[in-house]
Amino acid sequence: MQAANHNVNGINLKLLHAAIRFNALILGLTAGTLAAVVIYFATQASIVKWGSESGNYLGLLAIFFPGYSVTSSGAWVGAFWAFVYSAALSSLSYRFYGRVLGTRIADILLSTQPSENPVLKPSVLRLHGVSLGLAIGAIAALGLFLSTSWLVVRGTASDSVHAALLSHYIPGYSVSIFGGLLGAIELFSFVFVGCFLLAIVYNKIVEIRHRQS
Amino acid sequence: MKRQVRDHQILSAVFAKMDVPAMTFSAGILGSLILFLATAILLLQSVPADYPVGAHLSALADYLPGYSVSWSGTIVGALYGFLVGAIAGFAAAVYWNLAHYVALGVMLISSAELAD
Repeated sequence: MQAANHNVNGINLKLLHAAIRFNALILGLTAGTLAAVVIYFATQASIVKWGSESGNYLGLLAIFFPGYSVTSSGAWVGAFWAFVYSAALSSLSYRFYGRVLGTRIADILLSTQPSENPVLKPSVLRLHGVSLGLAIGAIAALGLFLSTSWLVVRGTASDSVHAALLSHYIPGYSVSIFGGLLGAIELFSFVFVGCFLLAIVYNKIVEIRHRQS
Repeated sequence: MKRQVRDHQILSAVFAKMDVPAMTFSAGILGSLILFLATAILLLQSVPADYPVGAHLSALADYLPGYSVSWSGTIVGALYGFLVGAIAGFAAAVYWNLAHYVALGVMLISSAELAD
C-alpha cells in the first residue's frame, strides 16, 4: 500500500508532503510574525494618540484575544494571540493549498523553469489562483463562522453591533448560527475572487519580469 | 502521457523565492480595490437623509489621515489601500524569502556537520 502511494503521476508523494509541511511552517511563521507586529504597533499607536481614551474599537479584540487590552502590556498579549491565530490559520491555508493542488502540482511546476540547483539558485514562485482561492477562502469562511458562533455561544450576539455591521458587505449576514453560515459562504466567494485576482496579477508580473531569463 | 516530475522539480517549487516587486504590486492592487469597494458599497446603499454613512469605517481616518467615507474618500482610500497592501505584500515576500534562506542555512550547516 505504501509503495503504491509513494509515486503518483511520477511524483514522489513523500517528498511532496514533506515540502508542503515545510512551506506551511514557513508561511505560518511569516504570517504570524507580521500579524503580531501589526497588532503590537496598532495598540501602541492607539495609546500614543489617545492615551487613557484609547481602545475604542481595538479593545473589542479582547473578545477573541483573552487578556488583551489597549495598554503597553496588552500590546504583548495581543501580539501573542495575533501570532497564534495567524500562524495557525495561514499554516492551515497552505496545507489546504497543497492538498488542493495535490498531484496537479505538476501543472504548476512544468509551467515554471525548474532550477538545476533549487537550493542554491532557487526558481521564482508562481501562484495557482484557483487553489489559492479555495484554500484561503475556506479558511476565511471557517474563521467567520467560528467567530460568529463564539459570539452566539458566549451569549453576546444581540450586543455585537459591530460584528452585525458586516451585513453591509455580506448581505444576509447576522450574528447567529444561520447568519454565520450564510456569511461564511458569501465570504468564501469574495475571498476566492480576491485571491484569484492576486494570483493573476502576481503571475503576470513574474512572467514579464522573468521573460528574459 | 504525463511527463515525469523529478524530485528536483518539487524542490524547485519548495524553495522557489517569492518575487518581491510582483507581490508588492499585486497586494497593493488588491488592497486598493478592497478599500475602494468598502467605501463605495457604503455610499451606494440607500439610507435616510441625515443618516451618518460609514460612521465606523470613517474611524480609519485615525490611522489614514484625509480618508473619509465619501466619493473623494474612495480615491484617497484606494491610494491608502495600495500603500498598505504594498507594504504588507513587500513584508510578506521579504520575510518568506528570508525564512527560506535561514531554513536552508540551518539545513546546510546540519548536513555539513553530519558529513563530518
